[in-house]
Amino acid sequence: MYEAVHAYPDGDATVARHARTAARHGYDGLVIRTRAALESANDGGATTAADGDAIADEYDVDVVDAVEIDADDPTGASGAVGNCRPEHTVVCVAGGDAALNRYAVEEPRVDVLARPSAGAGGFNHVLAKAARDNGVHVEFDFGPVLRRSGGDRVRALSALRKLREIVTYYDAPHVVSANASSHLELRAPRELVAVGDRVGFDPEWVREGLRAWGSIATRNRERRSERFIEPGVRRGRYETER
Amino acid sequence: MKHLPKHLRPRWRYLAVGIEAWPDADLDRRGFQRALWYAAGNLLGDAGSADAGLELLSFSVADGEGEAVVRVRHGHVDESRAAVASVSEVDGDPIGIRVRGISGTVRACEERYMGRAVGQSVRRDVAFEDAERTAVVREDAYDVRTGSEYVGATAFDIE
Repeated sequence: MYEAVHAYPDGDATVARHARTAARHGYDGLVIRTRAALESANDGGATTAADGDAIADEYDVDVVDAVEIDADDPTGASGAVGNCRPEHTVVCVAGGDAALNRYAVEEPRVDVLARPSAGAGGFNHVLAKAARDNGVHVEFDFGPVLRRSGGDRVRALSALRKLREIVTYYDAPHVVSANASSHLELRAPRELVAVGDRVGFDPEWVREGLRAWGSIATRNRERRSERFIEPGVRRGRYETER
Repeated sequence: MKHLPKHLRPRWRYLAVGIEAWPDADLDRRGFQRALWYAAGNLLGDAGSADAGLELLSFSVADGEGEAVVRVRHGHVDESRAAVASVSEVDGDPIGIRVRGISGTVRACEERYMGRAVGQSVRRDVAFEDAERTAVVREDAYDVRTGSEYVGATAFDIE
């Protein structure tokens, strides 16, 4: 199972610290949503991309480089997606307002629509169908359930419930995450499943959502590899470099 | 009071809980128990919280790492696990928390899951992001002080 985190400088723990904690929690891999965290050190990032593999070896946790695009409008997001898609394994778009949510689910180059119900936006059947047709995973953010209380949490829970009803009805792909921004905010998969169970999620469905990060990463790595030509077409064994 | 016949005594499960926090966090037993009950009350409601029990039996923490044994009622382990997971801070200090395992007796719980943590921590000056900073070091975990806050790092990030 995989989890997606915000690492330093965006969060309060570096990629390596997240990886160390995730390994103890029993995760197989970690999706680093912060672009700067795995970029080269001379750009001001904390660790280098080469370190990503070294960290993966050291802590026995797969480290996936990802980017979370937080744009003001679809035009900005579209430009950012175009720039980031060739360079990162997983591309997420932070949703929130109606226009951004709509843009993200209608763009097949986007892997994950993060936090669709965080802002004034919202989610409906039209977006769910588009997400299903374009293979965009809708994120279920357990962060507020774990870290808020009172009215905030009630609103977050009711938004999650509404989202769940729509997404399961149309069978749109989904991912689950605790949205941790430090190693302290990470929770083990069994804990997330238990919390999900309490607030009305099917345990197996939550596990599926955690595994989905891993399958997105595997699929995209294959697509970015040199053998990949188009879906269903690979460079064969006998093909040589020309 | 005369104690209950065996078949009427409540049956318990003991959760071994691992705790992590920033080195300057001031955690104590009362605060943690309060946070636990508060989390259970909020997530499970009064009725569910009373069913689960969630009584703190032992608690030790030093320099941002610790462990605890929490007693819950048999048959309410899943609810308790969810309540434990939703403890995100104690007296304003954010904490990381994890259920290491569950046992049927306190002794098994302690023997199997406790006492592995809490290596000695030392304060050291380290180079992090091209600057000299103080860090609290425990094994390969470095909590680096940057300004007024800590950043969690490991030996990897230290040049």
